[in-house]
Amino acid sequence: MSFKTAREGYTKYQGLGNWAFVLHRITGIGVIIFLIIHVSDTALVYFKPEWYLHAVDLYRLPIFGLGEILLVLSIIYHGLNGLRVIYFDMINPEMWSIEINRKSVIWTWIITLILWLPAAVVMGSHILENMGG
Amino acid sequence: MTTQSKTVEIPQTWEAFAWKWMRYSGVIIFILAWVHVLIQDILVGVYKIDIGYVAGRWNSAFSFWRVYDFLLLFFSFSHGMNGVRQVLYDFIHGSAGRRVLNWVLFITWLVITIWGTVAIFSFTPPAG
Repeated sequence: MSFKTAREGYTKYQGLGNWAFVLHRITGIGVIIFLIIHVSDTALVYFKPEWYLHAVDLYRLPIFGLGEILLVLSIIYHGLNGLRVIYFDMINPEMWSIEINRKSVIWTWIITLILWLPAAVVMGSHILENMGG
Repeated sequence: MTTQSKTVEIPQTWEAFAWKWMRYSGVIIFILAWVHVLIQDILVGVYKIDIGYVAGRWNSAFSFWRVYDFLLLFFSFSHGMNGVRQVLYDFIHGSAGRRVLNWVLFITWLVITIWGTVAIFSFTPPAG
């Protein structure tokens, strides 16, 4: 079956570059699902303002706040990894080697965490400040 | 250690265009989406966002943020829906399945892009 073939393709090669690829897809799918919801409900500010306010109320729930922190992690990773891919694909393909690719993946994860942690602290403190309020 | 590179001719197909589109739009989205997330999610936060806040950003007919938000919507949504297509192509190999998939994704993309664009450019601050 075609489904099985694609899955085996993902799982047979397990270098770091493959994990970067799998995470790129997972974060990408997560962001586009959010984006479909986000564009649909934000547009309500024009089409049906009372429903827009209801949607914003939902986003203020702590569980959505945690989801937002994960969303920001996904966006930071997907963007940085995307630039990494673009660099090797279009700017400097001669530089690509298994070892350099491996290092670039590790650095992508390090920079992702460095950028995400302060953002998560700020967003987490917003959630705590507004809980029960 | 570097790898030996060679130049290959890429046929100018729709798929080659989509491949490039993901990369060019990706660079644009990298800037537009990160600034958007930095301002709306981190610096301002959802607790301070309401209709008055939107009215402040979308204050004149073609205000900077209306155009910004439209570009963000256009590039990120086309990038994302094409990404979904590329992911699902790895699981759907038959031409009939792919045709159905393409129509579903295309219509979803078109409807939501129009829905968002109309809201961005038609919104007027509520009176009072």
